[in-house]
Amino acid sequence: MKIIEVKKLGVKYGGIGVLSGLSFDIEEGDYIGIIGPNGSGKTTLLKSILGIVRPDNGSVRIFDCACHKLRCHHKAKIGYIPQKGQIDPNFPVTVRETVMMGRYSSIGLLRRPTGRDMDLVIDALREVGMEGYIAAPLGHLSGGQQQRVLIARALVQQPEVLLMDEPTTGIDTPTQHSIIKLISNLQKDLALTVLLVTHDINMIIPYVDMMALINTKLYAVGKPSEVLHEKTLTEIYGKQVIVTTKEGGTYVIVGDYHYV
Amino acid sequence: MFEMLSYEFMQRALIASVIIGLVCSIIGVFVILRNLTFIGAGTSHAAFAGVTLGYLINQNPLSLAVLFSLITVWVVGFLSRRGHLKLDASVGIFYSLTMALAVLFIGLMKVYNAEVYGYLFGSILSVTQSDMLIILVLGFIVLSLVYLFFKEFHFITFDEEMAKASGIAADWLSFLMLTMIALTIVISLKSVGAILVFALIVTPAAAAYQLTYSMIRMFSYSIVIGIGSSVGGVFLSYWLDLPSGATTVLFVSAIFFLSVIFSPKRGRLTSI
Ligand SMILES: Nc1ncnc2c1ncn2[C@@H]1O[C@H](COP(=O)(O)OP(=O)(O)O)[C@@H](O)[C@H]1O
Ligand SMILES: [Mg+2]
Repeated sequence: MKIIEVKKLGVKYGGIGVLSGLSFDIEEGDYIGIIGPNGSGKTTLLKSILGIVRPDNGSVRIFDCACHKLRCHHKAKIGYIPQKGQIDPNFPVTVRETVMMGRYSSIGLLRRPTGRDMDLVIDALREVGMEGYIAAPLGHLSGGQQQRVLIARALVQQPEVLLMDEPTTGIDTPTQHSIIKLISNLQKDLALTVLLVTHDINMIIPYVDMMALINTKLYAVGKPSEVLHEKTLTEIYGKQVIVTTKEGGTYVIVGDYHYV
Repeated sequence: MFEMLSYEFMQRALIASVIIGLVCSIIGVFVILRNLTFIGAGTSHAAFAGVTLGYLINQNPLSLAVLFSLITVWVVGFLSRRGHLKLDASVGIFYSLTMALAVLFIGLMKVYNAEVYGYLFGSILSVTQSDMLIILVLGFIVLSLVYLFFKEFHFITFDEEMAKASGIAADWLSFLMLTMIALTIVISLKSVGAILVFALIVTPAAAAYQLTYSMIRMFSYSIVIGIGSSVGGVFLSYWLDLPSGATTVLFVSAIFFLSVIFSPKRGRLTSI
């Protein structure tokens, strides 16, 4: 079943188009990687789906509603993990409080969290392997641990769709892999629809079912093997891109042999 | 010590200083964590302009202070939200605009009015019965709002965009928070005055921020420091016969520097 429908989407900031003419559909249970260089509009696309950014042209619909008109009970079904670095490490908040925030909109105005909300918080922390840190200040955790807590915060909403913005930036490489594995396992176990934004193509090739290549426009969408073409990638990145296969896996090398 | 408490003006001053200390220290936590210090400082000048207009046209100065500070926070909030203007720039404009209005209104007064200067520098010992009523009503409104929307305020303070994405009415709550800041400034105007009012909002919370990583503890510490210095300032003012605004701010600043020295976050001070 179609869960997200992007139709001729155009977004402008101060008259400058950052997205234009994007059209694609996402089916329930899809696991899709959104790929593009920095500044290509990936975050803007996620924010349009969240309804935080309004389309200037075209439309974005989720659960068959226009995204910027979503009601709270629909919003709770979308778990959002923003690009890290937007979180102040000194902010006085514990892991428990952070995850509980995911319950707030379901709890509703003028009500307090109950024992059931607390149970859901503990379950979510268990899913990401962070149940031992429930009382810790968020700022005391490592980057990877904070990312896990933010994933728990999204899970506690009991979402159907997960939108993740660069979940591996600013995290060391082994931890990056464990985070991507965690997301992939959750996607399978909970039958989630996942949109994973990243500029790191190689990291996600083995995991995702689909990829969308964007740079203001949509260049390609489909299975990784179908969309990873040297010509398209070279056009998007503005540098020579090489696609190779090694030990059965596909790798993309951009420009001066920097992995992207 | 007990003889001073038998004066009615002294009783009023103490009750007012407890309420002011409480409200300021709670709002201060949000102001510190959301980086709203400058907007608050700008608003206190707007409030003062309201006071001077009140004296000029013979209306209740605090009611006009409410009006002026609400208009300021709403317009500044609206401009920054629409992306027309950076927050700093629009606050800067209002800061000087309202101060110019205050100077203008004072200039238009035919007679020298010493009371006006009480609002500039603070004189809690002169709080009247009707000031007291305004302090009580506004204090009650602000504290009730904090209590009712505490979890939402906590969330938007942590991350406004995430709150918005999960269905919290973040825009609306942000305006409500600005409104509460404006009311808090008006409440404190008489005690510490327009120039110093922001010390009472920012300093207790900034001191508390040095001492803990827990939000709830930050509120408790801020409240203790806020009420302590607000009441302490009144006593000092009475005993030493000095202006209450000055004694209060010096008192709370001393606590702030102590908290920096004993902070477990030492070296991270730059991040606030
Ligand atoms: N709020 C904003 N106001 C103005 N320009 C913005 C804003 N957010 C993003 N942009 C610009 O839009 C473009 C796309 O940004 P973004 O969606 O964040 O890209 P990505 O996530 O792919 O790096 C960039 O050029 C960025 O500078
Ligand atoms: Mg981005």
